[in-house]
Amino acid sequence: MRNRGMKPWLIAMFLVLAMFAAACAEESTDGEDTGDDTGTEEEALPGEGMTACQVTDTGGIDDKSFNQTAYAGLEQAQEELGVEAKFLESSTPNDFEPNINAFIEQGCDIIITVGFLLGDATAAAAEANPDQKFAIVDVDFFDFEKGEDVVYDNAKELTFQTDQAAFLAGYVAAGMSETGKIGTYGGINIPPVSIFMNGWLAGANYWNETKGAAVEVLGWDGKDGLFTGDFEDQDKGRNTTESLLDEGADVILPVAGPVGLGSAAALQDAGEGSLVWVDTDGCVSVEEYCDLFLTSVMKNMNIAVYDAIASVVDGSFEGGLYSGTLENGGVGIAPFNEFDSQIDDTIKTEVEELQQKIISGEIVVADYL
Amino acid sequence: MSTAAAGLPGGISQKRARVLGLVFIALSLGIFWWFALGSESGLSSTFKLSSGNEFVTVPDLSLPARSTALFLGTIAAFLGGLQIARGFGNKTYLVLGAVVLCFILAFLVWAARDRSLNMLGMLSSTLLRAVPLTLGALSGVLCERAGVINIAIEGMMLTAAFTGAIAASAIGNLWIGLLAGIASGALLGLLLAVLSIRYRVDQIIGGTVINIFALGLTSYLSARVFSSYQNLNSPGRFSVIEIPLLSKIPIIGPIFFSNNIFIYLMYALVAVIAFAMFRTRWGLRVRAVGEHPKAADTVGIKVLRVRYQNVVLGGMVAGLAGAYFTLGSVGRFDENMTAGRGFIALAAMIFGRWHPVGAFGAALLFGFADSLQNKLAILKVPIASEFLLMAPYLVTIFVVAGVVGRARPPAADGQPYTKE
Repeated sequence: MRNRGMKPWLIAMFLVLAMFAAACAEESTDGEDTGDDTGTEEEALPGEGMTACQVTDTGGIDDKSFNQTAYAGLEQAQEELGVEAKFLESSTPNDFEPNINAFIEQGCDIIITVGFLLGDATAAAAEANPDQKFAIVDVDFFDFEKGEDVVYDNAKELTFQTDQAAFLAGYVAAGMSETGKIGTYGGINIPPVSIFMNGWLAGANYWNETKGAAVEVLGWDGKDGLFTGDFEDQDKGRNTTESLLDEGADVILPVAGPVGLGSAAALQDAGEGSLVWVDTDGCVSVEEYCDLFLTSVMKNMNIAVYDAIASVVDGSFEGGLYSGTLENGGVGIAPFNEFDSQIDDTIKTEVEELQQKIISGEIVVADYL
Repeated sequence: MSTAAAGLPGGISQKRARVLGLVFIALSLGIFWWFALGSESGLSSTFKLSSGNEFVTVPDLSLPARSTALFLGTIAAFLGGLQIARGFGNKTYLVLGAVVLCFILAFLVWAARDRSLNMLGMLSSTLLRAVPLTLGALSGVLCERAGVINIAIEGMMLTAAFTGAIAASAIGNLWIGLLAGIASGALLGLLLAVLSIRYRVDQIIGGTVINIFALGLTSYLSARVFSSYQNLNSPGRFSVIEIPLLSKIPIIGPIFFSNNIFIYLMYALVAVIAFAMFRTRWGLRVRAVGEHPKAADTVGIKVLRVRYQNVVLGGMVAGLAGAYFTLGSVGRFDENMTAGRGFIALAAMIFGRWHPVGAFGAALLFGFADSLQNKLAILKVPIASEFLLMAPYLVTIFVVAGVVGRARPPAADGQPYTKE
């Protein structure tokens, strides 16, 4: 019995090891290109010596969609302005606050938090650290108790009217559908996700109205619909997509970050249907599935993030709302790529016209829900 | 029956039988109220049962919504009456299953009224969603039957998913990837075994540490490696193998015999492990070690060796489950892509009473809840999507707490063994 019981030092050692590995995952600051940028030696770039730091949502920096697009803005700033780009990945929502605090301690010149779910943590940090500059993607701060908009002088809110671009994609999809059904699903039912689905539905409705057709949208009814529950479970994404295909949808819009890659696998195996990618042009970010992408609803976070960093560099930064629209290029639809030859010229011209009508305000997306 | 107060394995107390009878009646009333009265008369629900690839094409099943619900409600009410009047003895759970089935069918008929639902697709996605759960649960069965709690199934799956993806991409052969995944599972199994057998670390803590370690390591490596070397994250997928003849049988064929290698491996493992565990000398020894290691030791069974062996085997099976995510399902690795399936697998193992076949059944139930959720959302059932997403977990809680009740783990489960 002498030797009974576990050895505490052993557990402690493994715990430390595990924590270390977990911490590594989060603290993988990007040093790849720092220092050895070509051209930096000849001419000092304006942002030299400054740092721009991104805290990701769950899903990882290389998620082919959301986090990655935002980070592209940082990389561009690193290249063109000479700022140092860093990121911390959040494995779980519990990492949001510690990651933000880590960057505050490191003295980042601007902290970019990516995602609706980081809203509360960012608002708290912005309030507690008035001298620290923030930019948050997908959040418009709002005080629900008082029912009024909230603006922090040190936080830029980068929001996107993705429904405008999704409207165009929904219109094309409705026109392209052979089964008369198009589908969509999301990760979690939160505004930056459902706004895509709203646009998609409205676009199909507009098609029905103008063409007297009856294309049905599966997975979203304007309020609720089909969701996978997170932005990680790609097997679930695959499964959900197969369900949509089973029920006859032939163009599908997954709004779930990397989970959408499960859809691509499902379509490839099924040998039917097409996808509309989100956030970036799928043919650029996920080249291997380019033949599946009818188009993409682009949310140009990289541009907005780059602009926010640039404003810090030239000293013109101010807090408040930025809204990306079709008009200012903050959102848009990607080229039809490999589907280009299959799409009628009439549809293409109509899309152009629709785009102008949305910009001029003649068409309001919400009217077609 | 009246003497079976505290419950023989299959029987239940009289009081509990009465309560169950009332539950059946309540469910039947629910069917009448929501599903029969909720369907306007004259509407019919269409169920698609054919993929068009079989010997005979099964015609779509079209049922009048209201009368079908009435019929199912009547069956449930009848069974409830019988249950209160005389009970079903040790067939009670079977009857409970039948009543719940009536309820679900009535629900589906109501949800699909005036529309169509691809029943075949729903059933085949049930099976696919059950694959990682079944394999994970089998891993748990192997470990726990020998007396080692394996809470690290999740971490093993995640690591194997990663290793499988990277090995298959680097070498360009899916089979190598599959083997690498299994090997990485085995390594983590060995780690768990060393921690819990050699060092007698609390097995829950040891397992949890492995889970945290696996999540951290794979996230770190994928952020580091895959962002710069994308070609290391495109392993491809195992393609579907149609079993000749069998895959052409209506309904059964497309669901069970038109899948990729993982599904067939799963069938084989369920059968092999069930047989080995309960019909061979090896299995008897394993169970002896899990129930009463001292007695096993006395008759000359090498307790620690059996435990090592089983935990490593369990790790390999969990590795197979993990490889399913990258090589069988989506063809690439992403951070935390197992998303907690390993823990549901653990619940499936408990629900299945530490038996491979039971675990398979439990996994199918979870898979069904999962695919039902998808279909209901597509059919626009007026239930909030957040609640629909809870379905598999609600089923877990309901089943583990309510139906399994007194499931008994192996007696020495979780206890380190020391020779005195």
